[in-house]
Amino acid sequence: MISNLLLILSWIYIIFGIIGIFRFSNMYARLLTSSKIDTAATITILIALMFKSGFNLFTLRLVILLTFVLITGPVSNHIIARSAYLNGINLKGEDEK
Amino acid sequence: MLKITIILLIISMLTTSIRMVFRATIWDKLLALNLISAKTILLLAVYAVYKDNIFLLDLSISCGIIGFLGITLLSRFILRGGRQK
Repeated sequence: MISNLLLILSWIYIIFGIIGIFRFSNMYARLLTSSKIDTAATITILIALMFKSGFNLFTLRLVILLTFVLITGPVSNHIIARSAYLNGINLKGEDEK
Repeated sequence: MLKITIILLIISMLTTSIRMVFRATIWDKLLALNLISAKTILLLAVYAVYKDNIFLLDLSISCGIIGFLGITLLSRFILRGGRQK
């Protein structure tokens, strides 16, 4: 029951992720929204899978996966934003389509 | 329920790759790489639970590690100014 609810919630996040990629024109806005939505979708899906698979070896691996993604997700997005910023894309950003 | 999640994940991967890979800047491509690697981790995990196959979960963990390493090294390579040295 709970896992189904969480799965529906993750669907909404994924749909927002798709919309977020198309709508934003500025480079950093796109970077921000897609990475945030992506991590949120990952968290909800993994927790939903944990509820669905009960208490066995599956949940152990899912917990490891969840902690790993929680640590590396934002860090990798930060690295991309940092390299984009240092290499010259100004913060106002061009509005190329 | 899980089947719809798999389909949605595949659709989002397709739109990300089509929309982001053909952009001008390098960092859009890097962002696309990051998103697609995160989506593959999710896809593997959902498929593993869907088919009750435990080995796929180990695969998704290693795929996460490889994705993260790829992004850090690529962005360091770009930061250093790429190949024209």
